[in-house]
Amino acid sequence: MTSTATPETETAPLFGDAEKRVVLDPLWDNNPIATQMLGICSALAVTTGLQVSIVMGISVICVMAMANVVISLLRNLIPSKIRIIVQLVVVSGAVIIVDQVLRAYAFDLAKQLGVFISLIITNCIVMGRLEAFAMGNGPWRSLLDGIANGLGYAWIICVVGAVREVLGAGKLMGVQVIPDSLYEAGYVNNGLMVLAPGAFLLLGVIVWVQRAIMGKVEE
Amino acid sequence: MNTNSNTYVMGFAVAMCVTVSAVLATLASALKETQEAAAEFDRQKNVMMAAGLIQQGDTRSREELEELFSKRVKEVTVDTETGAEVQGTAAEVAQKRKDSPLRYRVVGAAETDSGEVTILPVSGKGLWSTIYGYIALEQDKATVRGITFYKHGETPGLGGEVENPQWTSQWVGKSIRRDDGIGVIVKKGKVDPGVVREKKHYVDGLAGATITSNGVTKFVERDLRSFEAYLSKN
Repeated sequence: MTSTATPETETAPLFGDAEKRVVLDPLWDNNPIATQMLGICSALAVTTGLQVSIVMGISVICVMAMANVVISLLRNLIPSKIRIIVQLVVVSGAVIIVDQVLRAYAFDLAKQLGVFISLIITNCIVMGRLEAFAMGNGPWRSLLDGIANGLGYAWIICVVGAVREVLGAGKLMGVQVIPDSLYEAGYVNNGLMVLAPGAFLLLGVIVWVQRAIMGKVEE
Repeated sequence: MNTNSNTYVMGFAVAMCVTVSAVLATLASALKETQEAAAEFDRQKNVMMAAGLIQQGDTRSREELEELFSKRVKEVTVDTETGAEVQGTAAEVAQKRKDSPLRYRVVGAAETDSGEVTILPVSGKGLWSTIYGYIALEQDKATVRGITFYKHGETPGLGGEVENPQWTSQWVGKSIRRDDGIGVIVKKGKVDPGVVREKKHYVDGLAGATITSNGVTKFVERDLRSFEAYLSKN
């Protein structure tokens, strides 16, 4: 967890070392999916293609940024007895906003993502960051933390989505990338990649590679 | 201030709920029109997909597709009991004649490369929800040209597969004129291509979604029957 940030002071720069760490940590060292193993469920379900992964990633970034800022502003007012419910209300509100906007401006994608947009509410990354970071830090840092954690989630699902689409459908963003000549030579799309177990295997490989590079050992 | 006193907690909870509801209500009413337009465009696309005018995942712009729709598809309200065309929307006519709105339905006719195609709305209960779709018939009014389901709340991966193009493509070429009735039957299990009757009138069932499959069979049959007067007239 990155809750070790130094306290903010009047003279602290807007984007100093502490802020930099808040932004960079979730992207690699403390990635919500690869390191903390959170949000796996949606990462498996929505990564059938690159386009849906991107939209899902953006949605999660928006939800986390909104929820983190709101909770951070309210952090001294929220009664600790009902803080989890308050967080849940804020997250649900943010998710409904994203869902409504998608339905108005990206109807097809909203239909494809279907229930998974609503299920961002139950994404542990969101609640985890609210409880661990926004409840104890100012709005500016919380905003950065929300965006960075969302990005950490987004880049992983985009990689999984891209690989699945190329291997499973021979396409990327709906455009064919594997040449017809290869199909004529006997190449076939990998059916496993279309299904959730394919995503599970890929995610395992990503976690493995990421940890091998980082040299992280589970305590 | 004591943020843990009961009064404060209650007050905070109420204020929170009111604020969030107000924000969401404002947003929902502000976006309503755009959302309805998007849903209507989606419906038009499904009419054209059923008629075979466009394919799933057509990359043309919204303006182009809307123009194609207005140029090639003609929608009229039909009195299903007499088969006659009526003026106005289904709800208007029903209100004027003090009749059930179910009696009046909007059907489409599209100009395609293989003649005029009739597009009929079909809808009914699946397992969890009402499923909405369109079935398009060739000029002979018996052969299915295409079918799409565009709105439903069935379980994703099971009953939700009704919208899967791989499944709906099986309907193409089936005949709705059976010896024992009307409609295409969604079989439980796979169609046996060796049996003529099955090859002509049956499609594979949706695995793990028997109730959705049976529902589709039932409401497609019911709706096609209700359009009999219209079909025989044209």
